[in-house]
Amino acid sequence: MFKKIFFPILLIIACQSGYAQNSILDVGVRIQKDIGLYTENGITINYSSKKYAPDKLYVGFSYFTSRLGTAINSNAIKQDNFLLSGAWYFRQGHLIRPLLRANLGYFSSEYPAIFSALPHQSMLLSADAGVCIQTHTPLKITTSLGYNAISGKGNNDVPGTLYPFFYQFTLTWNILKPAK
Amino acid sequence: MKKALQTIIILLLVAGCKKTPAIPDAELGSGKLADPSLTNPAAYRISVSQPAPTAAQAKIPVIIACHGYSATTFEWDEFRKWSNGRSDYYIDQVLLAGHGTTYAAFAGSTWHDWQSTIKDEYNLLVKEGYQNINFVCSSTSCPLLLDMIHSGFFNTAATTVHIFMVDPIIIPSDKFLSIIGIVGPMLGYVTSDNAPGEDVYYYHYRPQETLQQLNNVLATVRGELEDGITLPKNVYLKVYKSIKDPTADPVSAVLIYKGIKTSSGNDIDVNMVNSTLHVFTRLNLVPGATDQDRQNQNNTFTDITTLLFK
Repeated sequence: MFKKIFFPILLIIACQSGYAQNSILDVGVRIQKDIGLYTENGITINYSSKKYAPDKLYVGFSYFTSRLGTAINSNAIKQDNFLLSGAWYFRQGHLIRPLLRANLGYFSSEYPAIFSALPHQSMLLSADAGVCIQTHTPLKITTSLGYNAISGKGNNDVPGTLYPFFYQFTLTWNILKPAK
Repeated sequence: MKKALQTIIILLLVAGCKKTPAIPDAELGSGKLADPSLTNPAAYRISVSQPAPTAAQAKIPVIIACHGYSATTFEWDEFRKWSNGRSDYYIDQVLLAGHGTTYAAFAGSTWHDWQSTIKDEYNLLVKEGYQNINFVCSSTSCPLLLDMIHSGFFNTAATTVHIFMVDPIIIPSDKFLSIIGIVGPMLGYVTSDNAPGEDVYYYHYRPQETLQQLNNVLATVRGELEDGITLPKNVYLKVYKSIKDPTADPVSAVLIYKGIKTSSGNDIDVNMVNSTLHVFTRLNLVPGATDQDRQNQNNTFTDITTLLFK
């Protein structure tokens, strides 16, 4: 059943070829799993200008939080991630496009007052690599595996719930390109 | 390209082969050393030295002292020494299964085995007639106790069970533990940075199988805390946690504090301690222990033995 529906859709998407002529503004959701810890979900916005390596160079912003993940109806720590990113998408015009991304941002976690001696915020510095299924419709599906260069080590003034490894999944829609 | 791929596969296969370290005779795990509680259990366990207490003795509080991952009864020796001369409580030091003997025994043990040692000793003391049984636990034995609370192990205890946790671990400081399931089989074992002399009391070589067990119990208990644990009416819990800790991330105390409520819905007691040591109550063989460290140890032992009677 799944194959019957999925493959024709994929085929139609794949057949709609053509490089981007305009700037791209992808807006969507980001689902992230910190390996060994929380699921953190949120939003992501990525922009590629038609003037500078269109559809190859992307700059982006993401906000994701355990508030929309593991901390929903649980005692998990509420923590927020704000990321600015620069990404390079390879194999323009192909359905499956590898990508590399560098990220810089800010991390904050909420602790009860008696834990004021513990670090609860940090800079974020990470990189991730993955693939994007670029459908040539406004829809993009991206998944990647990443590494946080800054993570909690128990004695380094970085919050302990900032973990080194993560994978993420995003679904975005190019709001500058009307669907056909 | 094909050749490179073949080389990588061969390297991975070689790396994935079982590895066992060559352990010097003078180190724990070699098979030449054993925890002294195995050769002289009566010196460590009240359940062995006094298996048939009188009515008066049965009412005296017993504190079961539980050590952490890869450690031995050594971890609570200083508490026994500090308590020397006290006759108003007993200390009962247990050796967790798989610990204090050989590398192979350690590698073959699971976190359920480690926990069963604690359960068995508690049940034995109850069977012998002891009526006031309590715990001090450090590091990994803390999540073992938390899982016991979660499972309702203490729900029918006759008297208040005091549980004192020193540097509990829920979140490891070394976050690479989270990928031990992937890299562990390739590594075989991991070496620890023990201080001089500590290799006699702490395994220097940590089998990847046990690190996976450690990761499993931490994930299990973290999930239990996220869902929420309510202490039975007859359980009192207090956490003592170093504010910097190279082994058990201090945020572990936050997770325990947020995840547990007393039976009346109140927060549990937590004392954040100005220390950079893991299991700050054990100072023997710690290089450069300071006056502050000694004060922390003394304050904590005093607090524990005061709260025991409240």
